[in-house]
Amino acid sequence: MVTALARIGDFGLFCVRVGRSTFRHRPPIARSIEEAYHIGFRSLPILLVISAFVGTNLALQGYNAFVPLGGQRLVGMFIALAGVRELAPIMVASMVAAKAGTEMASQIAVMRIQEQIDALEVMAIDPHWYLVVPRFVGICLVLPALTMISIFTLVLASYLVSVYQLGLNGPEFIQLASATTRPVDLWYCVLKAFAFGIVICLVSCYYGFTTRPGPSGVGRATNAAVVVSAVVCSLLNYVMSEILFG
Amino acid sequence: MVIDSLAGIGRFGVFSWSVATRVVTPYWEIDETARHTWEVASRCAMPVVAVVFPFGMVMALQGLSIFDLFGAQRLLSSLVSVAVFRELSPVLASTLVAAQGGSAFAAELGAMRISEELDATEIMAIDSLRTHVVPRFMAAVIAAPALNVIGCLAGITGGYVTAVWVKGQPSATYWDNLWELTHPADIYGGTFKALVFGVLIGLIACYQGYHATGGAAGVGKAVNDTVVISITTFIIVNYFLTSAMFGAITN
Amino acid sequence: MTVREPPDPIIRMVDLHKRFGELVVLDGVTFGIPRGLTTVLLGPSGTGKSVLIKHIVGLLEPDSGEVWVDDVRVDTASVRQQYAVRKRFGMMFQNGALFDNLTAGENVEFPLRYHTSHNAAKRRKIAEEKLALVELPEVYDRPTSALSGGQRKRVSLARAIVLEPDVVLFDEPNSGLDPLTSSTVDALISRMKDQLGITFVVITHDIVQALAIGDWIGMLSGGELVEYGPREDFLKSESDVVRGFLARNHTV
Repeated sequence: MVTALARIGDFGLFCVRVGRSTFRHRPPIARSIEEAYHIGFRSLPILLVISAFVGTNLALQGYNAFVPLGGQRLVGMFIALAGVRELAPIMVASMVAAKAGTEMASQIAVMRIQEQIDALEVMAIDPHWYLVVPRFVGICLVLPALTMISIFTLVLASYLVSVYQLGLNGPEFIQLASATTRPVDLWYCVLKAFAFGIVICLVSCYYGFTTRPGPSGVGRATNAAVVVSAVVCSLLNYVMSEILFG
Repeated sequence: MVIDSLAGIGRFGVFSWSVATRVVTPYWEIDETARHTWEVASRCAMPVVAVVFPFGMVMALQGLSIFDLFGAQRLLSSLVSVAVFRELSPVLASTLVAAQGGSAFAAELGAMRISEELDATEIMAIDSLRTHVVPRFMAAVIAAPALNVIGCLAGITGGYVTAVWVKGQPSATYWDNLWELTHPADIYGGTFKALVFGVLIGLIACYQGYHATGGAAGVGKAVNDTVVISITTFIIVNYFLTSAMFGAITN
Repeated sequence: MTVREPPDPIIRMVDLHKRFGELVVLDGVTFGIPRGLTTVLLGPSGTGKSVLIKHIVGLLEPDSGEVWVDDVRVDTASVRQQYAVRKRFGMMFQNGALFDNLTAGENVEFPLRYHTSHNAAKRRKIAEEKLALVELPEVYDRPTSALSGGQRKRVSLARAIVLEPDVVLFDEPNSGLDPLTSSTVDALISRMKDQLGITFVVITHDIVQALAIGDWIGMLSGGELVEYGPREDFLKSESDVVRGFLARNHTV
């Protein structure tokens, strides 16, 4: 219990340091764009696959749930509410945590155990600025875009299942889905994506910085990074949904 | 590229077969299996609750805005139960088993591979698959369905909290309509899904760890690949399972 | 147990204490490091040599005690002051601590990129000079993964001296090297000291190396400095630990 509190305090301190580094020096723009490219490009294929299959399942579920009401036609609306508002942002967050977050944690952990972070310190280069800030900026640049791509894929896949597997009316699906999604909902999704990106980046980098020595230390840091980011993001998701949509 | 990935699939197939033959033939490392199972289950239990619970809440939140249109708020709990039993709980519980248990297995086995502990085991004429891999594989297979049950309870409770405490729906209605659209069979179905996902996670995690190369960075990569590959695989498998098991109920 | 005071210390440590949980690593260490000479700190593995050296540049904070570099107190200094002090230091790490995603040459010019306004050509020229100084003139474009253990250390040394520091710290410069490569590294360190005329601080468990390159030599044991002074005085030490260490070496 005491160690958990100490850990949270330590994490808070880490966030303050990152925040200070972000504003004290000029952010490394070229490296931030490079990171954004890496995060986006590497997460994209699996994000497409997962968005598509979550979309198909959502259509099946919505259909099953509304059959007794005679409201099968409402699948499009269900997709807009459950898929676009809720699942897409958190799904993107989980995938980015699983792919980019684990990579951040393991890269930084390896740098820690090979004393590369100490080397930065001795060279009078702030390691938070050099290692965390570009990843932070990169993930903030790329997550909203990934969220939009994921929403598009999810809706497309659920449309295909609804029309071709479940035999629903296509134009009606589109009409219901687009009537239910207000433009502001998309902005809310972007806002959520920003928040999740910040959480994932800080948590993953923190676990990388505080790794224990040896290969098993790197493994453990990577492991903790993904679990903690997933848990924090889904709690945050409810709080934000309640505030934004509740 | 294509040949490489084909070779990778081939190696994975051989690995899976070697694990399978050792699962069904004696002897079994019962104590080790129990230890790993307990470790995964106990370390995942809190995260499963912490993730599925808010998902139940979110489901109720969005579900209400649909059922308000029909004046059919009473059906809210049945929407939550359909979603949680059939989809959310098995998928999220398995995601966490992959993220926590699977990645820990890959990390441990990877570290043993790098520090030549696995080679040392083999040189002592001890079957490292039997002693180190099978117990971990079995732990994933046992823990995933067990955690699914915890996830179901958490999700339903999450829905209850939003519906009754936050949105002021009557408590009795929530419990009375819980089984409107679902049957206990749905829980078994979801648990069966979790079992399948557990098998996939166990195999992928152990394969990645057992074949790790390239020092500490290699272990990091094995962990990373484990999480990504197993989640992607079981989301795809999930679609086919859902279509086969639940698609048939209504069609 | 004699700890001598050097005439013109560049670094001073006063009553330094450090523990990690239950483990006491430094238990009241007081000494000064002479300017412009090579100081070697000896001790068996796990006696806190690395911990001591990391205190000098503020990588670790002492539980109690003071660390002075000239007239700046490092352990309580602000981040800005610490960074100013660090620019006067270079460090060669035990396993090199080279950045894997850069080539050998890019590693060497890395500090130049962040601390000077030289253009790319100038940076490359300086980096190649330093690589020539550590006798690796042709590795500029080689990825770090293609370097041997000894080469990694020498690239790390080139990176440590690229900003022309006042002090260079060496963390176990010949651990993991074969005896032949070790003696080459020793010769390199001696020659560089003559050429650059700067202060070297070396920590090692290798008595041969200590005697080969050290002007001042100290012996750490049980978290304390049991013997410290110029080489001639050190050899005449009556401390049991030092005698034991010297004797074991002569039998080898």
